Amino acid sequence: MAGVGQFDIDLFVRILPDLAFGAFVTLELTSLSILFGLIIGTIAGLARVSKNPVFFGVSTLYVEIIRGTPLLVQILIIYFGLPAIGINLRPEPAGIIALSICSGAYIAEIVRAGIESIPTGQMEAARSLGMSYLQAMRYVIFPQAFRNILPALGNEFIALLKDSSLLSVISIVELTRVGRQIVNTTFNAWTPFLGVALFYLMMTIPLSRLVDYSQKRLGTYEVK
Amino acid sequence: MSYLLEVINLKKSFGENEVLKDVNMKVKKGEVVVIIGPSGSGKSTLLRCINRLEEPTDGKILLDGVDITDKSIDINKVRQRIGMVFQQFNLFPHLTALQNVMLAPLKIKKMNKREAEETAIKLLNKVGLGDQINKYPAQLSGGQQQRVAIARALAMNPEVMLFDEVTSALDPELVKEVLDVMKQLAKDGMTMLVVTHEMGFAREVGDRLIFMDEGVIVEEGIPEEIFRNPKNPRTQKFLSVIL
Ligand SMILES: Nc1ncnc2c1ncn2[C@@H]1O[C@H](COP(=O)(O)OP(=O)(O)OP(=O)(O)O)[C@@H](O)[C@H]1O
Ligand SMILES: [Mg+2]
Repeated sequence: MAGVGQFDIDLFVRILPDLAFGAFVTLELTSLSILFGLIIGTIAGLARVSKNPVFFGVSTLYVEIIRGTPLLVQILIIYFGLPAIGINLRPEPAGIIALSICSGAYIAEIVRAGIESIPTGQMEAARSLGMSYLQAMRYVIFPQAFRNILPALGNEFIALLKDSSLLSVISIVELTRVGRQIVNTTFNAWTPFLGVALFYLMMTIPLSRLVDYSQKRLGTYEVK
Repeated sequence: MSYLLEVINLKKSFGENEVLKDVNMKVKKGEVVVIIGPSGSGKSTLLRCINRLEEPTDGKILLDGVDITDKSIDINKVRQRIGMVFQQFNLFPHLTALQNVMLAPLKIKKMNKREAEETAIKLLNKVGLGDQINKYPAQLSGGQQQRVAIARALAMNPEVMLFDEVTSALDPELVKEVLDVMKQLAKDGMTMLVVTHEMGFAREVGDRLIFMDEGVIVEEGIPEEIFRNPKNPRTQKFLSVIL
């Protein structure tokens, strides 16, 4: 069992390409999911501030269900559960759907908070000019809300990137699963998993720097 | 004589609280009506009902003879004909002065960009801000911001302008520049409803003065006459405190 428990530089160098590939898949899955999550979250966020009881009710239920259940369970339901009602998905689409639906719920709450952070006078001024509710949202409320929520969206992206490791349970070969496969063939757990962690950090640290930076830049409207 | 704006038996309640109790008012084209009254008397609510930022509980509001409280009416179209200026300016902070004024003509009237820009520059010149068009609201003084807000409302070419205590949030030295713009507007023939505490403005520019208290119009007439000789005891009391 030589090598177990010790960092093996040679092994590390040898598995770098595999880890890089896994990281690429992780980034790809997360990016696609956050994109769909943004679309879902924007619509659901709008519904969450809507006076229409149906929109409000449905979106609230969605947010509560997703936030009240573990992402792992959501993934398992979509991949292993849906075939019971005749929906068979391949692992990647199932994974992206699960991550999108999940991040959509969190983003909905970010969007809702962003809209509510804009003073009501902004909506009233826009409406008094003759804009429809949606025009006012689009041209007046959203641009301001978006600035305010950009850091929160960045944090959501980071969280989702880490949570995407759960997709390894439905045999998607993303970063974490790549690490596990290497461990299974090399019988060395220490080096590959440290490598996996390192690759996550190489993605998350620049992202959180970017979030910090945007937070500082977004204070005022004068500079442009 | 037909009226541009008629308010008929207007009532508005917030829950149990009846804020407007049977308000009637007629405004001719080009008339400047100044509305005064103590805090909480319903002045803002009256203006906000007229462009339906508040839904009236009962009564009618006729604009050019058409009832705009009718549910079948396109309220967005109606609001384009009624400009409003707020106490807190409510400029769009993410847009420059020019963009603030251009936004509605561009997006609602679908005016082309050059035309919208020309109109906006003309209006900003008119309110004395021709040299500030590319500044953001945060870079402007309160008086300048309020003048941009007036230009923004004028950009939709409204038939009536509503002013709700537009100088109340301003430092005293900035009040005059805003009132001067409003005076000019009145001279140009704009129909205006002005809620204000500026009695000098009421006297000089107002064609008619309305005194409101507890949700009713208590007294109305020529400003000078009401100031000199208020008939209702409540008007007398209010004016004795404020003048
Ligand atoms: N959205 C609202 N919900 C509940 N009550 C309201 C609302 N808006 C106004 N009111 C109440 O209606 C009454 C009249 O308010 P309004 O703002 O019209 O008075 P005002 O004459 O404009 O007073 P001020 O001089 O202080 O601006 C007040 O008692 C106020 O508390
Ligand atoms: Mg008021």
